[in-house]
Amino acid sequence: MTTYIIRRLIQTVVVIVLLSYVCFSLMTLMPGDPVELMIQSNPKVTSEDVARLRSLYGLDQPSYVRYFNWVKTIAAGDLGYSRTYRIPVSELMGPKLLNTFYLSLASLLLSILISVPLGIYSALHPGSKTDDAINFFAFAGISVPSFWLAIMLILTFSVYFKIFPAGGTFTIGIDETPSWDFFVDRSKYLVLPTVSLAYQQIGRFLRFTRSAMLEAMRNDYIRTAKAKGLSYSRVIWGHGFRNALIPLITILALSFSSLFSGALITETVFAYQGVGKLVYDSIIGNDFNVAMVSFIISVAMVLLFNLIADILYGVVDPRISYK
Amino acid sequence: MSQAEKTEKVITAAQRAEMERFQPMWKIVLTQFFEHRMAVVGLCVISFFIAVALLAPIIASVTGLDSERQNALNRYKPINSYVTVSTDEREAKVTEFIKDHADEASALQVELMTKGLVQPPRPEDALFELVGKEPQEALKILAQIPTEPATHLAKVVRDFESHHWLGTDELGRDVFIRLVYGTRVSMGVGILVAIASSLIGLLIGALAGYYGGAVDTILMRVTDSLLSLPILPIQIVIAAIDLNKVPGLGFLVGDENQSIYKLVFILVLFSWMTVALLVRGSILSLREREFILAAKTLGATDATIIFRHMFPNVVAPMLVSVTLGVGESILWEAALSFLGLGIQQPTPSWGNMLFNAQDLMTEAPFLAILPGLLILATTISFNYLGDGLQDAIDPKAIRR
Repeated sequence: MTTYIIRRLIQTVVVIVLLSYVCFSLMTLMPGDPVELMIQSNPKVTSEDVARLRSLYGLDQPSYVRYFNWVKTIAAGDLGYSRTYRIPVSELMGPKLLNTFYLSLASLLLSILISVPLGIYSALHPGSKTDDAINFFAFAGISVPSFWLAIMLILTFSVYFKIFPAGGTFTIGIDETPSWDFFVDRSKYLVLPTVSLAYQQIGRFLRFTRSAMLEAMRNDYIRTAKAKGLSYSRVIWGHGFRNALIPLITILALSFSSLFSGALITETVFAYQGVGKLVYDSIIGNDFNVAMVSFIISVAMVLLFNLIADILYGVVDPRISYK
Repeated sequence: MSQAEKTEKVITAAQRAEMERFQPMWKIVLTQFFEHRMAVVGLCVISFFIAVALLAPIIASVTGLDSERQNALNRYKPINSYVTVSTDEREAKVTEFIKDHADEASALQVELMTKGLVQPPRPEDALFELVGKEPQEALKILAQIPTEPATHLAKVVRDFESHHWLGTDELGRDVFIRLVYGTRVSMGVGILVAIASSLIGLLIGALAGYYGGAVDTILMRVTDSLLSLPILPIQIVIAAIDLNKVPGLGFLVGDENQSIYKLVFILVLFSWMTVALLVRGSILSLREREFILAAKTLGATDATIIFRHMFPNVVAPMLVSVTLGVGESILWEAALSFLGLGIQQPTPSWGNMLFNAQDLMTEAPFLAILPGLLILATTISFNYLGDGLQDAIDPKAIRR
């Protein structure tokens, strides 16, 4: 078990390092570099100044040399300085990570709470009208473009009914010390993004729960359990659902990466101050330091969650051995 | 006793023979497929959209609409609105008409004056007075003159007014025809990406499954890591690349389809993994089968075994994943275009129409609603179709 975890951790680190290098070299291919942006606002800059600035920032060196320099500064604990926000990157990341965490957690919980009961219900009544309706609901969930759903939610609930705010993280100017009022205010801003992010997950989880449960209920031991005279609920929960859980956890684990991709879009549409929006804004706004750090942190988070899920398999399914 | 059971009892020998008759596999699959009602509906919707995509230029020429003609004076027109060309433009057209067909124009002028249909300050302004009126009114007046020049001018006048069934967008372009061309682009990208990525997945899955060992380990390690990555941020990074800075790709800069090529490349790069896993799984089990051993004993080369003997066995499950892949690719295309990184203006796609609609969605909600509805309708159809195919080819689901 321990060796398995250590091996997976090493693999994860290798993937992160490789990816950060690929990403770093890709970013050098983006339009505009820091010096170009610096001289835009200053017409007096001569070409000697440009050359001097370039060598000062090391931009005249090949990308792998620059990558190693960048890694050195990161390893020393200096994450750099954001050009758009004018504050150190390390101060920027914390609150944004927390915001994304709230959003993802809320929508993950919401999607599990809705999809698991519905999925089990429709698996126990296959072919019924309700099953068809639930199936359609699930298919719509995996097919709906999340940003369009977000726009429709804004149009309905904040433009037409004026129940929820159209975007943002909390009311600007509100007292930010933790209190009940602040919590309610934040929750209001969280409702629409959570729903729009959750619906896609609901569609996928629902279909998975349904098919996993159908598969599980088809097994011989279910018939045995029924024949033994066990109660209906015990057969469903103790024998059926317990076995349906394993594929369900697989899809939950794999959903972290899609959850993050979804969060990026949702946060952008709702102007919610999370890491996804930060990644998008910094890449579009040529804020290289922020882009690299936020990118690597988000990738690392996703990979870490995948690892945790892999370990959790063993807890649910004793048949899985870690070699 | 239910109706079904009663009828079963009075089954005749002929009916029984009919039921027990041998049926070829494809017929079973087809019957099975047509039992899935939503999949059939999905197939119809998809066929409709493919027809629209293929017929886009014909639709454009029949309706006389141009997907790129802008009209700054008539932005954000509501659904089912008529738009009239400005007076200046109308007068310019009439001047052209008079210049090109001087005798027709003068004959018409005399006719208009003698019948007293228009009352211009000067007789020579009769035609200008006529087109100064609303186009519908002018056409009514022209209809009262049954001569050749009148019908000729009527043709010119008819062009002064355009009918926008679905209104106009932020640059005054017709939304309907842009949606039609958007279908072409979005469906095209979706289908292309799905096919290309499944071919790559097929190749990689087959290599990994057939050769096993180190090849398998390396390829599957890559596949697994790609699968576990948050794809969207990476796609954004790649989409933001300036092609001018990539050696060897500079020739693409300035090509009007540059953004489409880039998008297809990015989408294919991150969508072959599921097919690869699926193919590898099938090939691993096929490798142990007797007919492969027989082919090997007969001296078939690896390529022959893979292409001739193994691929036909993985085509069916691949078909399902291609179908599901099209829906997914359309969604990704829309997402990237929505973020402003996919297909660029003026080429319309469903995603970038949504991107543009964001700015004024309270004033012109239809601009945001329509493309999204089309995306939803298409992807849901592909998903149902994929589901139907899956059920149809799955031997476990055959109910006979």
